[in-house]
Amino acid sequence: MGERGACGACPSPAGYMHIFGMVISYGAWLLEGLLILRGAATRVFRVFPLFYSYIVYIFCCSLGMYLIYWLRPQAYPSAYWIYYLVSILVEFTVLVEMSDQIFRPFPAIRNLGRALTIVISIALGLVYILPAILGSTHRRPALLDFALRACVTKVVILAVLFYAARHYGSKLGRNVAGLMFGFSIYLAMNIAWLAAGKAFDPALSSNILWVMAPLAFALCLLVWTVSLWELAPMPSLRPISTATGRDSEAVALELTRLDSELSKLLHR
Amino acid sequence: MITLIYAAIAIAFLILVIGLLRKPQTDEPDEALTEKSYAPSIGNGRWLHLSERIFDPSDARWLAEELSFPKLAKALMVERKRLAIRWLEALQASFEEVVRTPELTPSEAPEARPVGSWQMLWLTLRFKILVSYTLLVVKLFGPYHRLIPSFSWVPFPRGSERSFRRAALANSRSSH
Repeated sequence: MGERGACGACPSPAGYMHIFGMVISYGAWLLEGLLILRGAATRVFRVFPLFYSYIVYIFCCSLGMYLIYWLRPQAYPSAYWIYYLVSILVEFTVLVEMSDQIFRPFPAIRNLGRALTIVISIALGLVYILPAILGSTHRRPALLDFALRACVTKVVILAVLFYAARHYGSKLGRNVAGLMFGFSIYLAMNIAWLAAGKAFDPALSSNILWVMAPLAFALCLLVWTVSLWELAPMPSLRPISTATGRDSEAVALELTRLDSELSKLLHR
Repeated sequence: MITLIYAAIAIAFLILVIGLLRKPQTDEPDEALTEKSYAPSIGNGRWLHLSERIFDPSDARWLAEELSFPKLAKALMVERKRLAIRWLEALQASFEEVVRTPELTPSEAPEARPVGSWQMLWLTLRFKILVSYTLLVVKLFGPYHRLIPSFSWVPFPRGSERSFRRAALANSRSSH
């Protein structure tokens, strides 16, 4: 998740800024560990398998990056960028997890969130993210631009998911609401500092990024840890008219019935 | 300038998220749904077959051509158009109700995903697109317009209906 920020390959700031950034990074790493331990103890990981696989991935990769940083510092910049770019893509699993959870009670639209996530990712990936990589000649601006645009894409997906959840009357439990809120903080902070990083002088922006990137992730992890401290049951959904809940086969039959009725009308 | 735009996006997004999470959702049904009249019952065949009458142009033709009452025929067409729109809106509202119906026993384990979720999503989206299109055509041209294309080239519904029926039948057999 880029605890060391997009400035990993840049000269890190000296003095207090460097120490401050490192302390926040270690704090974030400890929070990741706590989240994994707590998830295993309360078995929350069974309900959120994609999210916990993502956290385990981040935890292991962060550990690997620390080892490279201390043992083979000359290999660190290249290793960092690979890890950073892969992490940007892996973050989409968090969105898939959220989208799955939001529509889980509704059999007819259970995969709507996943479909929205995939469609928006592909569409914005082609028209918004890809040109940033292809059109840039320098590595640093290209990577910053790629990270920024990926964040904006995730924000769009989250906003659409929020809207869809409200439209269909899906009540987010504490766990899912916390996941979404934490990720929103992280993305909003990332957009702000990546945009600033693009605009300011590289030396100045490196100082800001060194602290801001791990701070954004640490805040996100804090919200996730609090919201996933224990498994909160999904709040009961409102009764709609005469509907009192039914199994998915019954819903499927009614859907096909209404669908074929409309089709008959269109065939006339 | 572009930095400011991105900063504004970030702040606006955070405000939106906080607002949405803080604002409790009312337990009352959606206003848009309550305003529209529901179909009496989805299982009510008579209500569904009402469409045959509403969308049948023979009455208006009979009035206009055989009895030579063009004004009456026009009035009937206007009334039928209103009825057709109400019928379609009721069908849409009933469909929304089915879509928003939570599962009776939601599965806790994520791997317990019932087969055909993607098919059901396709059916839902297909219906929404078709009913919106039909409403648009009826509102613009009336219920007797022939410009509604045939969707017979879409091979999915019949097969899916069969498979869903088969699955439901198999389930009911296994439960007995």
